[in-house]
Amino acid sequence: MASAFNLGTSLDPATRPDAVWRAELNEIDASTKWPVVVFLLSAVAWLLVGTVFALISSIKLHAPEFLGDYEWFTFGRARSAHLNAAVYGWSTNAAFGVVFWLMARLSRAKLRHPGILVIAACFWNLGVAIGVGGILKGDSTSIEWLEMPPYATPLLFVTYAIIGSWAAITFRFREEKHIYVSQWYLLAALLWFPWIYAVAQIMLIYEPARGTVQALVNWWFAHNIIGLWFTPIGLGAIYYFIPKVLGKPIYGYFLAMLGFWTLAIFNSWAGIHHLIGGPVPAWVVSASIVASLMMVIPVVVTAINFHMTMVGNFAALRYSPTLRFVVFGAVNYTLVSLTGSAMAIRSVNEITHFTHFTVGHAHQGMYAFFTMVMFGAIYYVMPRILRKEWPSAMLIRAHFWSAAIGVTLYWVDLEIGGWIQGLQMNNPDIPFIEVVRNTVPYLFVGSVAGIVMTIGHFAFAVNIAWMFCTRSEDSAAAPTLFHSRPAMPGASAQ
Amino acid sequence: MNDRPADRLRLDQAGTSDDHLHRAHADLVSKKPTHPNGYSPRSLMFFGLMSACILFSAIYLGRYSGGFDPLVYDERILPGMLEGDSGAPVAQDPKVLGRHIFMANCAACHQVTGLGLPGAYPPLAGSEWATGPYERIVRIVLGGLSGPITVKGSSFNSSMPSLGQSLRDVQLAAVLTYIRAEWGNIAPAVSSEKVKEIRASVATRAGPWSAEELLKVP
Amino acid sequence: MSRVPVVILGIFAALAFSWTGIVLTNQIQFGSLTPYYDQNEGRNYPDKVSGMAERGRSVYQDLGCAYCHSQQVRRLGFGADIERGWGERQSVARDYIYERRVFLGTMRTGPDLRNVGARRSVAEWHYLHLYDPQLTSPGSIMAPFAFLFEYRQLLGERSPKALKLPSDYAQRHGLDQPGFELVPTPRAEALVAYLLSLNDAYVFPEARPYVPPKKNGGSK
Repeated sequence: MASAFNLGTSLDPATRPDAVWRAELNEIDASTKWPVVVFLLSAVAWLLVGTVFALISSIKLHAPEFLGDYEWFTFGRARSAHLNAAVYGWSTNAAFGVVFWLMARLSRAKLRHPGILVIAACFWNLGVAIGVGGILKGDSTSIEWLEMPPYATPLLFVTYAIIGSWAAITFRFREEKHIYVSQWYLLAALLWFPWIYAVAQIMLIYEPARGTVQALVNWWFAHNIIGLWFTPIGLGAIYYFIPKVLGKPIYGYFLAMLGFWTLAIFNSWAGIHHLIGGPVPAWVVSASIVASLMMVIPVVVTAINFHMTMVGNFAALRYSPTLRFVVFGAVNYTLVSLTGSAMAIRSVNEITHFTHFTVGHAHQGMYAFFTMVMFGAIYYVMPRILRKEWPSAMLIRAHFWSAAIGVTLYWVDLEIGGWIQGLQMNNPDIPFIEVVRNTVPYLFVGSVAGIVMTIGHFAFAVNIAWMFCTRSEDSAAAPTLFHSRPAMPGASAQ
Repeated sequence: MNDRPADRLRLDQAGTSDDHLHRAHADLVSKKPTHPNGYSPRSLMFFGLMSACILFSAIYLGRYSGGFDPLVYDERILPGMLEGDSGAPVAQDPKVLGRHIFMANCAACHQVTGLGLPGAYPPLAGSEWATGPYERIVRIVLGGLSGPITVKGSSFNSSMPSLGQSLRDVQLAAVLTYIRAEWGNIAPAVSSEKVKEIRASVATRAGPWSAEELLKVP
Repeated sequence: MSRVPVVILGIFAALAFSWTGIVLTNQIQFGSLTPYYDQNEGRNYPDKVSGMAERGRSVYQDLGCAYCHSQQVRRLGFGADIERGWGERQSVARDYIYERRVFLGTMRTGPDLRNVGARRSVAEWHYLHLYDPQLTSPGSIMAPFAFLFEYRQLLGERSPKALKLPSDYAQRHGLDQPGFELVPTPRAEALVAYLLSLNDAYVFPEARPYVPPKKNGGSK
């Protein structure tokens, strides 16, 4: 079932005049420029903030006296500051930037009144800043993935209303009749996010539910942030960038909508696998376990789609930074999802629950999958909206290898350490303090991995800053690739 | 926006245009290749995988859902498995009941340790009164105690309120059983029937007991 | 494309399905759980906590204790929670009905605290542990919470709440100056009151343990 044709050779300049659609695309890219630039730059700034708190938290785990005198940096607060800066600061800002650029492009619709989005972006960042500051100050709600105090979140909600509706409007006024799978994923994510966020805010903070109903709402919310907000955006991006860069259509594309619907139905039910064995009714736990295992179906669909498309084209990874990051993300998406399905099995969960295994798993998902895909997207998007090329291929290489090695070391190390921790915790003959002491070497390696990732983040930030300071006329004539690539037939596409 | 040097010279990483991305994929969906045998082995395998998942899920959900009862927390339980499911009350462990009653009603004076307060409240731990004939202590809890009393060689002279009105027979029996088996005390349990008997036999009596009176019992 | 409204409906329905099943159904089924009245004991369970303990819960929340400590005991046979003495039975929903914020937790960097008030019932231990975990648990990776304490000049008599540090420790850290004492701040006192209140003493009917029947010839 090989692809029927190669898009590269099927480019027929006679179908539309080159200059016309190029000009149109230039206009679309230009309309998205300022909002996307603001979102992506904010994202990178929050990436650095999140990295600082990540390192502080990680070091405190094996050296608890580190910054131990400062109440504002106590582990419970530093760790929550890291999570919220990374999720709502870096990941969500990057998501907004990529969503707008992709939606405008795929819908072939200019982004209207982009100035409003720039204002929205500023308010989003203000909200996150107040939220993270509030956590450090001591106003954390101690609700996982929702720690920001109630005085920060209404701002985020109102801002999101603008952002979400703007992206939906862009889709609504599309010029392109065909709707590509990425557009479905992005639209769905935009519609799901406000619902899960609102339910969590109302039932956990404003009118808290009684007893462990809170826990059910908390984990329905937190898992859906990953599974119905970040995952569809990541998948939508991968579905675009792989065929786009390769010039090959998706293998098994007709499966894509099946993957979309099974993701929607099963992932939304999977959240209570975070509460296996907990004080919640057994039936809802069992339902979530079933849903988590059924997730194998959409994961296999995307695995077929992404990996089989890449087969025979791995050579392109030599040249394209975008492809490298995005494919790394795609591979880790498959791995982390299959791991997640396995972790939902009760007998596995008996060992992994409450251990560092879960932390490793979470980072494989949010970093090795989502963040790496966002990196790849940013490497593609920035040159097109700034009309400049990346100044340094070496920095991109440094970024890729630091991030890839760092995160892989991190999640592998924590999953091994967490597995051992779980086995030991289940053995009552081993005193608890000994179980804790045995985790310390793994936590130390985790900090080392974090430092490796940090190097990559700085390479990234420096490259972006440098790119900004370069005038477009001085910029390279050819795209910044890792190695120079032989010219592809018909590859004059935008 | 027209034809700047960057536009003309730049060779993109893109292998195709967005336009062709749309066209090619639209074609893929609408012009699906048909197979000579009418099915493709890969499709069958995938269908097989889906069916297996659905079958497994149905079986798992059927067995481990506790009848969708919100009060079932142990996934192994199905309705009707536990005694008491029929509505009949479940027997409570008397030792646990006894401890709870003691903590709520007695520990304030006699202390959690059963050591009492020297000069104020007599100890129960190692007390000859606690381990002695049950008829005495049943009367104490039913009617209260007032006046001098010697416990473990020390003398006390205060008053203990009666608990006969606020606690039922089964509760009194449980707490007395508790103090007779705690802190190293070893003495036989007190049953609620015995408490009921004694309550009936002293029904006409008013006022707290004195140590002198009790020593004449049985 | 005319498909768009149908797809949007489908997107809505997919989330509505799980929202109804996980959130709404459970809110209806046990969102108004009432305390259990025990006939024999003549009182309701669970206990409501005192004012001090309630304030302590806020301290637990703002310091983020729930990110290292869980508060849920798993059933016998699933993990070793009960064998470790973390509880006598599986935690059930009724244990948490009076908690404004439920701290089930998802990490056991430190031990489960659901019944810590039963197994560590002396306030002094908690004060020492919070001040410097190494005092009670050498090798622990728990952070020191010295900022919850105050090293202050004696006001007349020594406060009964003053911490009794081992003398070599006090010497090493300069905490043995005459005329000074180390006392907990009100936040520390509230936190410890909260920790001491953590004790699920009662066995609700729904918390009765299930003993699976023996495989060969056992009676049900």
